[in-house]
Amino acid sequence: MIRVENLSVSYGAVTALRDVTFEAPTGKITTVIGANGAGKTTLLRTISGLVKPRQGSIRLGEFDLVGTATEDIARRGVAHVPEGRGVIEELTVEENLRLGALASKVDLAEGIARQFTQFPALESRRRNYAATLSGGERQMLAMARALIARPSVLLLDEPSLGLAPQVTADMMRTISELCTSEDLTVILVEQNAKSALRIAHDAVVLHIGRVAAFGTAGEVAADESLRRYYLGLVT
Amino acid sequence: MVRSLSQRYPTSFRLVASVVLCALALAVTFVLTPLDDSKLAGGAAMSIVILGLSWLIGWSGQVSLGNAGFMAIGAYTTAIWANHHTTSPIIWSLFLSTVLGGVSGLVLALPATRLRGPYLAGMTLAFSFAVAPLAIDSRSLTGGSGGLFINFLNAPSWFANLFSGSDALVKANAQWPADVAIVVAAVAFFFMANLFRSRTGRALRLVRDNEVAAELVGVNLQRTRTLAFVISAAYAGLGGSMMTLLSGSVTPQTYGLTLSILLLTLMVLGGIGTLSGAVIGGLIYSYSDNIVSVVNKVTGVNPTSTFGANLKGIVFGVLLILTMMLAPRGLVGLGSYLRRLVRR
Repeated sequence: MIRVENLSVSYGAVTALRDVTFEAPTGKITTVIGANGAGKTTLLRTISGLVKPRQGSIRLGEFDLVGTATEDIARRGVAHVPEGRGVIEELTVEENLRLGALASKVDLAEGIARQFTQFPALESRRRNYAATLSGGERQMLAMARALIARPSVLLLDEPSLGLAPQVTADMMRTISELCTSEDLTVILVEQNAKSALRIAHDAVVLHIGRVAAFGTAGEVAADESLRRYYLGLVT
Repeated sequence: MVRSLSQRYPTSFRLVASVVLCALALAVTFVLTPLDDSKLAGGAAMSIVILGLSWLIGWSGQVSLGNAGFMAIGAYTTAIWANHHTTSPIIWSLFLSTVLGGVSGLVLALPATRLRGPYLAGMTLAFSFAVAPLAIDSRSLTGGSGGLFINFLNAPSWFANLFSGSDALVKANAQWPADVAIVVAAVAFFFMANLFRSRTGRALRLVRDNEVAAELVGVNLQRTRTLAFVISAAYAGLGGSMMTLLSGSVTPQTYGLTLSILLLTLMVLGGIGTLSGAVIGGLIYSYSDNIVSVVNKVTGVNPTSTFGANLKGIVFGVLLILTMMLAPRGLVGLGSYLRRLVRR
């Protein structure tokens, strides 16, 4: 479980997040939605330690992640799949997967086999360079790389970016299955509010750095004013 | 793009390959003339340093202009040790020089790995400049500008017995240093081939290509960069030690900025970040005088004129430009360039 409390982040004079408070329970998907510049990516980057907050706490269980080095946060089981996926194009699929286990003690062969079971499309391409993968395959590779070290928390930054609607739907289903089967705490940042709300249990709506709404995905999806003003969803 | 054969095969394969290639090179020394043997020895020593630099630049993306300085540390360590312990086996000289090279690399890395690109190059450049004056000033330890001399490497009797005729011992003594250099280089290359494939190698490449992704999988950037720097310096120390053993002397003027830049040039000519590139770089170093004399003959330049005396620099410069234009991956990558040309 991740509990974010009174989190504020500034880039110089610009405040990116202001007093953000919410809770992401274990075994569930919490989606963070909102317009461009709402602070969604900053929120994920702060959780994984890439950005230092001005104030507030981020608790993983009882442990406060604020002030911990990024690599130590990763070792504590927080896996972050960044926007743009961060796969290394000049390495093969399998080599990319091995990178995910660099700092952990998991059995590499077993871990790779497990990810290939989870993402069968990757197995047939294990010896191909990541540069040759499609957008959807890259996203799968990035997720598999994050999962290989058996994290307890999975942070996903816009996994649907640049993917066709059908591919996005498959991706969302996979995320949902993973969340249940691996008992993960998933924080899913999305622009694509509609598909994110469909699989999420809880939703945080960010609006220029503040929490505009926090509730179950159903409540948020049903709230007409939220839909209209923040999510750009018109019925 | 940095890839090499070493990445696709297991350790046992790399061990066998190292032994076979080493044996082949040793066999060649029995055929070559003593002059060629001594050139080959220098090339082998140099290839160790080039490999260390290639690892640093090709795999971690850090540029060092200070590796001649680390060579100097290895070279002086060997000379000082050998003069105080004349009967000590050379393995100790090699070992100590490698360790001290690595330690001095660590001292420089602590501040240096926080720097990037031109700033890092600038700091290592300063180190390159500092080494020769330091060696000249520490006269009691280093012999000042005259340098230090040690006994030449003499062939052990079992090796001399392999030769026949009245000049057997002369032949054996001429060839022995080359064989030692080749074996040392083979060990260094075997170790590096494994390093390329190791967890550290993969982490380093990830740090080079995507720092954020590296941090997110739990890699400590500072520690990984420092380790790369230390290993590179240790290789330079080992190569410097070999240079002293081969030439029987060490002088401060040898290890200045010019050598650092020559190392970079040779590395680029051979091919950055590959084992074979380092071998090619070493061979070019060995035969650079031959290359220059061929150019001399073809162009008819008088070697004693000012222009002729600087011809080596010009030839290297032109070679470097041509390599960057035609084979940016070095002579190692030339093969794939030619294949593409034929297909077109």
